[in-house]
Amino acid sequence: MIRLLGLQPTYMPHDILEFEYRVSNIAQNGISAVEVSVVWLTEGKGTEDLGVHFFQRLTGNSLAASDWSIPQLVHVPLPTSPLSYEGKLLKISWCVRVRFYLNDGTELVAQQPFYLGTITREV
Amino acid sequence: MSGWWFVGSLGEALFFASFFLVGVLCFTTIVAWQFLSPNTQVVRIGYGFWLLTTVSAAFIVMGAVGFWYRVLKVATSDEHREVIAKHGIVPRPKQQLSKIAFPPSVPLLHPFTDSPGAKLAYRLPCEWAGTGSLIAIGLFAMSWNAMIAVFLVLAISGFLQGNIQYRLLLLIIPGIYIGLRSGQMFFKAYVQAIGIGSTTVEIEDLPLVPGKTYQLLLVQYGRLVIKKLSIRLVCEEESTYHFGTDIRTERQVVLRQEILEQGRSRIDWGRPLELECQVSIPLDAMHSFQSLHNAIHWKIIVEGEANRWPSYCRSFPVVVYPLARSNPVSLPS
Repeated sequence: MIRLLGLQPTYMPHDILEFEYRVSNIAQNGISAVEVSVVWLTEGKGTEDLGVHFFQRLTGNSLAASDWSIPQLVHVPLPTSPLSYEGKLLKISWCVRVRFYLNDGTELVAQQPFYLGTITREV
Repeated sequence: MSGWWFVGSLGEALFFASFFLVGVLCFTTIVAWQFLSPNTQVVRIGYGFWLLTTVSAAFIVMGAVGFWYRVLKVATSDEHREVIAKHGIVPRPKQQLSKIAFPPSVPLLHPFTDSPGAKLAYRLPCEWAGTGSLIAIGLFAMSWNAMIAVFLVLAISGFLQGNIQYRLLLLIIPGIYIGLRSGQMFFKAYVQAIGIGSTTVEIEDLPLVPGKTYQLLLVQYGRLVIKKLSIRLVCEEESTYHFGTDIRTERQVVLRQEILEQGRSRIDWGRPLELECQVSIPLDAMHSFQSLHNAIHWKIIVEGEANRWPSYCRSFPVVVYPLARSNPVSLPS
């Protein structure tokens, strides 16, 4: 589960995006890796593009050092661009994405969208 | 990560792995045989040897790259792959941040600011849609006429020796017609391109920022009577996608703002038409954007209609930066 700590899911460039994530009903030793990322992606008529603004992969010791019974807090300063946008041919959206890789090969993915900037429609 | 997608990726990885193994096997066999037992070597050092070595090396490279690409596709997430593509597999030490902070996914400013204007700060680069077709027609006309000239020389030398080659003549006659027509088409397009005269657009500042107004100067050169000349600010979305085996690009104008419209005016050599105007970027405008398959372009479009000439359209791309920025961007000197 991902929870944005801002009052509204809209942030301005250079704001600090604060969020927390946690996983429940999974034993701590059952997790082999965790990936946390803040990404933008394009949707629409064109082939989808993905840009990674923040990426953190926890494995081995860094994973063992985390206490998964409490939410993990992450602070990410946001960039100037690209701003969230909804146009005619393309849409640019931002999201926080967390992937849990379990020892049995299962992959759990959660994502939480948010807006960067206040332009969410075509010009 | 299951089902046909997984089986397909696994199959592709195995295919490239076998490619790699075949390459390694061939390469080592050829090279080792050459050095360990040169007397019994079937392929002696020479054209054949180097060809086989190069082909084997190509197999190795292709197999290795293809195999690891497929493995990474299965074993890593989209985000992780993107990070690897950007920073490499081994993490690099953090580099000192550049003094000039360019917003990410916005086109670079250098191509737009490297040409100073005569009256205003920058002269904008011109994107003329007809350049490609003019070069293509020119190249075709040149190569076709060169080929026909060779055939013509052969035919004339045969004729002088008393050996008239009728088949060659049958080939040359339509060839000459095509050559003349392509030459005519090229010169027509060339005269149209240079006859109207060049158009330059200067702007007082770059990058453009939403909510601000900028001074613009248009200079139209040539010797002609302009019936109508209009300047527009245009924002255009561009998306590239695969359609079957084709790659298609679709464009859609999302903003069109009239800046200036000029009526009838006469232009002469040494007395170009100069028009000053102002362009405002809407406060809620989206900034310029460029990713691998998608883009948002801002352009200043100049459209003109002239007496005895076909109407023309010239495009001058500009860069719009996002409005909210704590630190002003310092331009490269």
